[in-house]
Amino acid sequence: MSAALTAVLIAVFLLEPIGSLQVSRWEEILQIGVFLVVAVVVSALSEGRHRAERSLQARTKQLEDANRELDAYSYSISHDLRRPLRAIDGYSSIVLADYGAQLAPDVQRYLNLVRGRVQYLGQLVDDLLAFSRLGRQALNTRSLSPSDVVMDALNELKPELDRRGVDVRLHELPACEADSSLLRQVYVNLLDNALKFTRERQGPVIEVGARETAIQTVHFVRDNGIGFDMAYAEQVFGVFQRLDVQETYEGTGVGLAIVRRIIDKHEGEIWAEAEPDRGATFYFTLTGKKS
Amino acid sequence: MVHQAIDILLIEDDPHDVELTLHAFQKQTIVLRVHVIKNGAEALEFFHGTGAYANRDPQLGPKLILLDLKVPMVDGLYVTRQIRASRTHRTTPVVVLSSSSDEPDLIKSYQLGINSYIVKPVDFEAFIDTAQMIVQYWLSLNRAPAA
Repeated sequence: MSAALTAVLIAVFLLEPIGSLQVSRWEEILQIGVFLVVAVVVSALSEGRHRAERSLQARTKQLEDANRELDAYSYSISHDLRRPLRAIDGYSSIVLADYGAQLAPDVQRYLNLVRGRVQYLGQLVDDLLAFSRLGRQALNTRSLSPSDVVMDALNELKPELDRRGVDVRLHELPACEADSSLLRQVYVNLLDNALKFTRERQGPVIEVGARETAIQTVHFVRDNGIGFDMAYAEQVFGVFQRLDVQETYEGTGVGLAIVRRIIDKHEGEIWAEAEPDRGATFYFTLTGKKS
Repeated sequence: MVHQAIDILLIEDDPHDVELTLHAFQKQTIVLRVHVIKNGAEALEFFHGTGAYANRDPQLGPKLILLDLKVPMVDGLYVTRQIRASRTHRTTPVVVLSSSSDEPDLIKSYQLGINSYIVKPVDFEAFIDTAQMIVQYWLSLNRAPAA
């Protein structure tokens, strides 16, 4: 565009008979000259911008390729790692079920340990894949009722909630903007966590609610479980960070890392308050400041 | 087996998956006639009625097709397309037994007309329960048109 303009201006300038130049027109010529310089600079800048755009496109394509590669990679991990795990668990299970009576108690115990560890590994593969997919998943937010999402998550955990006789207290939750399937994962993980750490409690209570502050809605999930020392309040959200080293509590330690990543994607915040033996509360916000 | 009646056609390449799946079906209360096909090319012969399966009477079944998406030679999704395009088995229920819950696979499978998509659990006892539910639902509760 600017190059075409420059060409037209040069043509007009050259077609003008040199002899007809008058001193009063020098001013005009000077203006045209300035205009030409500006046009050339704009043209050069525009060329630079095009080059930047091209390099940005190339970079985007590289990123897309890398993403596709990662997808293919996680696909093959989930297929190729889970397959042998299923076989190990399957054969161990058949030995225990069909030949268990002929096995010494120790052998049975070892085989059960093998099965336990293999199933843990299977869960770990699933959780890590879910975690890695999250990073690349687009956020699909809409206005929704978090109560519906919580009910959905509670339904998934219903068998254990019923079996353990957990007192679930669900308070009213105001409508919010969120990705419903991701928010569901947040609640499933937080509730699952609460379930796990109230296991030794007589009369376990899990409370789900929200409180409005001046600027935002703070959602929370509270339990009366074993809690933890606040010195570890940040650590609980890291991948593979488990506070119980003795593996008393099942789980891969990825659940809360998934929760944090989902909240980050929503540009919200998450934090925990707890005290050893006096329960834990996980708080989160979804959109930072309320509009 | 070519000219015998089949309840379930299992299309699966991994020998361990085949053995364990058959074991899970043996644990069921009813006796099931399961025929195993270990690669996509043989699956196509089956549905096209060519090669080893020439002149096979489609009335002999299967009543249910269990399909692994990752079978050698011909991709499982392609096999699904061929089943749905075939004259003889286009209405037979297809249940995908997958190793992963990969979203693109899930979407593509349903778009091609599968009836159900199940991720095989690592826990074998859970898999025996899954097999029982598959048999109860697809071979007993569900009604499908005759071939």
